[in-house]
Amino acid sequence: MSTRAVAINLKIPDNAAYTALVTLRRLGIDVAGVERSQIVRFADAPETQALVTAVEKDESLYNPNKHRVTVLEADAPRAGEVWIVQDDAERPVGWRLYRAPGVPASLDLLTQAAERLLCNPAIERAIFPRSHG
Amino acid sequence: MAEAANVALRSDELARIRERLGREPSTVEVHAFDAQWSEHCSYKSSRHQLKRLPTTGTFVVLGPAEDSGILHLGEHNGERYGIVIAHESHNHPSQVVPFEGAATGIGGIVRDVLCMGAHVIAVADPLRFGRIDDPHAHQRYVAQGVVDGISAYGNAIGVPNIAGDVYFDERFDDNCLVNVVAMGVVKESEIIHSYAPAGADGWDLVLVGKATDPSGFGGASFSSLTLDAADEASNKGAVQVPDPFLKSVIMRASYRVFALLHEQRVTVGFKDLGAGGIMGCSAEITAAGGYGARIDLDAVNVAVDGMRPEVIAVGETQERLLWAVPPSVTPLLLRVYNEEFTLPEIAYNARAVKIGTVTADKHYVLTHQGKTVMDVDIEFLTGSIRDELPSSESPAHEATSERPLVTGVQLDELLDRVLAHGDVCSREPLYRRYDAVVRGCTVIPRGAADAGVLAPIPGSRLGVALAVAGNPRYSHIDVRRAAEHAVYEAVRKVVATGARPIGLTDCLNFGNPRKIDHYSEFVTAIDGLARAAEKFHTPFVSGNVSLYNESASGKAIPASPIVACVGAFNDIGTVVTMPFKAAGSVLYLIGKPQAALGGSVLLDVLGRGDEHLPRIDYETVCAQHDLLYEAAQARLLRSARAVGNGGLVVALCEMAFATMRKGQPYVGAQIDDSWQWTHGSVGDLEAYFGESGGFVVEVAADDIEAFEGIADDVPGVCEIGVTIDRPMLAIHDEAFDLHRLRHMWYAPLREVYP
Amino acid sequence: MSRRIAVLVFPGTNSEDETLRLLHDCGGDAHLVHWSRAKTLPSFDAYVLPGGFAYEDRIRAGAIAAHDTAMDHVIAGAQRGKLVFGICNGAQILLEAGLVPGTGPVRLPTAAFTRNGPVAHFVCTHVHVKLNIDPARCAITAALPRGTLIPAWTANGEGRLAADAARLQELQDGNHIAFVYAHPDGSVDDTASPNQSALGVAGLINHNGNILALMPHPERDAWTFNHPDKRRGDDMLATSGGAVLFRSFVEALART
Repeated sequence: MSTRAVAINLKIPDNAAYTALVTLRRLGIDVAGVERSQIVRFADAPETQALVTAVEKDESLYNPNKHRVTVLEADAPRAGEVWIVQDDAERPVGWRLYRAPGVPASLDLLTQAAERLLCNPAIERAIFPRSHG
Repeated sequence: MAEAANVALRSDELARIRERLGREPSTVEVHAFDAQWSEHCSYKSSRHQLKRLPTTGTFVVLGPAEDSGILHLGEHNGERYGIVIAHESHNHPSQVVPFEGAATGIGGIVRDVLCMGAHVIAVADPLRFGRIDDPHAHQRYVAQGVVDGISAYGNAIGVPNIAGDVYFDERFDDNCLVNVVAMGVVKESEIIHSYAPAGADGWDLVLVGKATDPSGFGGASFSSLTLDAADEASNKGAVQVPDPFLKSVIMRASYRVFALLHEQRVTVGFKDLGAGGIMGCSAEITAAGGYGARIDLDAVNVAVDGMRPEVIAVGETQERLLWAVPPSVTPLLLRVYNEEFTLPEIAYNARAVKIGTVTADKHYVLTHQGKTVMDVDIEFLTGSIRDELPSSESPAHEATSERPLVTGVQLDELLDRVLAHGDVCSREPLYRRYDAVVRGCTVIPRGAADAGVLAPIPGSRLGVALAVAGNPRYSHIDVRRAAEHAVYEAVRKVVATGARPIGLTDCLNFGNPRKIDHYSEFVTAIDGLARAAEKFHTPFVSGNVSLYNESASGKAIPASPIVACVGAFNDIGTVVTMPFKAAGSVLYLIGKPQAALGGSVLLDVLGRGDEHLPRIDYETVCAQHDLLYEAAQARLLRSARAVGNGGLVVALCEMAFATMRKGQPYVGAQIDDSWQWTHGSVGDLEAYFGESGGFVVEVAADDIEAFEGIADDVPGVCEIGVTIDRPMLAIHDEAFDLHRLRHMWYAPLREVYP
Repeated sequence: MSRRIAVLVFPGTNSEDETLRLLHDCGGDAHLVHWSRAKTLPSFDAYVLPGGFAYEDRIRAGAIAAHDTAMDHVIAGAQRGKLVFGICNGAQILLEAGLVPGTGPVRLPTAAFTRNGPVAHFVCTHVHVKLNIDPARCAITAALPRGTLIPAWTANGEGRLAADAARLQELQDGNHIAFVYAHPDGSVDDTASPNQSALGVAGLINHNGNILALMPHPERDAWTFNHPDKRRGDDMLATSGGAVLFRSFVEALART
């Protein structure tokens, strides 16, 4: 058992992600897609199916009519994703950027996006993917 | 075919369509009729019953024929102003996705007011939830999500929430009620109607707003099918996505269009899209003017490619409206919405775009990819259909129990339990999540009186009040009288602020009309509403019916007619608020206590007592309302509150609690033993906690003579005590610490809405 | 020649009407300037950023609006000493744009008005704010008496000032804390703030004192009829309460 993370996304249109996409492009950051997640971390997490079940049972996190749950391979942002955290006690917001459909953004693009828009350095910090791909 | 397409049309309805068309209906046509003939759109079970409600009167500018009703407010600078008012429900979606269901409810009701050419000035939310004690129960999730949705939407678009109420009862566990009211202000000379006007043959139909997408498809029939947990998978696609950001821009762009149209003195039609989507709206706006319509679905701005024509035609994507304008006006619309207000940059492919034409031939035609996919007689499509359903004279369920109250009950324990009761406890934790003061027009926000009050016209002393009511505990006792009480309470709350009540709206939330018991309740409730509305001279100018509020397990909601009342002020200087103002005032009770405790909080707490509903003696009550108005006009009232849930003592407590702000002087009350004013006609507990209506008013010592002068021939006015300069409620020879009571009162909902 | 005030309207701004109205009632020559007309901004002498939900507060309150073309003009004007007054969402935009407290580069914020505490929900409640600086420290407040107490409404979900310890110290050392939350009797303590704002901060200024970012809305308790305590005989339509700050702003502008 270790710390595991799940990403919860809207499967209905995500207005905030759309506006983030438009704004990044307006700032000259060439992304083709943006996906926003609520990241929920579990210390001493059970195995995958039990994790999904635990999330799906919690109405404050998940509503089958509008949410989709993805169990992450590691307790870390995926390729092309940055986690924004205000204080360590709370759940990160995950922004996953794509430079083309299905192609995660590079670390460089991700860093620009975080610095210019997604992360307020006065109160937040950005957690980037561990591998530089 | 209907089942495969997941539509709710009955086989007899399909047969009628087949017969009238002389052929099989196309897929698009099936979905169109499914939406248009759904209960939600057609009111087939209810429209003929609603005709019994009074809808005309001195202050009625526009009755219930269009998207909103309009009441005359007054004159300012030579212009007549109207208050636009609409009332709707979003019950089923809110049970499934509470945040989106409630948010889109606000979105929809705001559009109903906007499309009359009005500026939107307020919203109200009467809510009914199930038991919320268990933090993990679905009802708690619903209760929190709904409030979050209303808050997120109303606050973002900048419309203050100035009225509302909430009840918690297990009979709403599986079927919450989310009713919403929106109010607007408009110069009567600038009203825009919901139909294509005279001479509109050949005009453009211009769609404005969000790109049509597949979400929300199936909404109209979804609202008309009963909820069943097993069907949850099939509810996919029925989630309507709110976008208050887009709406905020659309509202402001529309206000600009209004101003330009008035400058050019053009008469047009404007209607919002709701149930039935593009089809429903375009068919109704043209049919109501005696026209037909021709719409090219390829012209519609869509969010995704490859959408099937029926989804484009009938889907219920939010944030859309439709104009019927002369072709010469279309460029103005496109410029304002698309360029000045940059709609396409606000949301993906949002825009104003011409999608069709008003025709003279009374056909409703849709084309898609060069083919005609729908061509039906427009009056057959939109004309009123009627289901004759059986009803019976609903028995009043007159409870015969009149067991005497338990004696020797400690008053302090009762006070604690009544103040903490779900019907009585402070709602502030809930409504402080709503912006009460955006737009700068708020005179009385929620919590400062029984009704919210605005001064909606800058530079004018005209004021408008809004209150809602509809106690769900009354209807199982006596449906007709319960409906009368809904009207009485809404009117009373408006009167308590010094306003003159001028009109009503209603939302009738009931069970399954195909079940004779539920339908009978509906029919009987209308009797009660009609009677009270007539007696108070407050006609209904707008309303909504929500049927099928039951789950598949047969659990139905209590019959819930919910009423909103609009009041008018000539001068907001005469407004009366709730907090006590000073020690040494005299307190009067206006309204004779009755022994009947049916539906009351006291009865719920004690478990026994007279289970009849209090009677309403209209002649007396109207005289009392006139007294309150006159006293307010003469500025003789320091404060006032309607007597409602929990009775007189709760009213007094709330008037005192409102003085308990840091740095302000506390004002409490000292009340005589009830015998002093009831002379034993009722017991003391009925006197202190009975819910038979009326008011408590505070009158300064210097004004007693004048007040008692005008109260002289009004029945049911009696002195009950005085205000004091300590945070205490003293009843006869017992005294209760208001700090402690306030804590009991404030805590319960604080836990749910921290 | 009268000084012209631009009241900026971003997509999602919702308090522009009452803000404009109050400026007019306080003698200001104020005009709404829409986001699609941002290029007219340099012709104005002062800027007011009203409340609302620009871009629905997506990502963070004020985060997107801070990058708008309109803000390029506000930044340029502010750097040349024009008066700038941001209220609620307007204040959030000024902090995201780095103009207030202005202790870092443009568009690199050093403090933020962020999610309320103890619970992160929208709260609408009547408040008082107290002038915490020498009135002359800030042009906009210069006409106010020392220690002025102003009634207002807080109505937001992101009103809590937050910054790291060093930056908070900088705010104090640099005398940036223009307004703090207070009780109706003028006393100031931890319970006065409705949202656990650091140091009880309700409003901040930049170093030069020409830019004020105020979270609560004085324009919502600005006419007598808005007041919670209305008295018999009051002139309901007269300005009062929060209008004092707007009047000071207009007077400050007249002196420039």
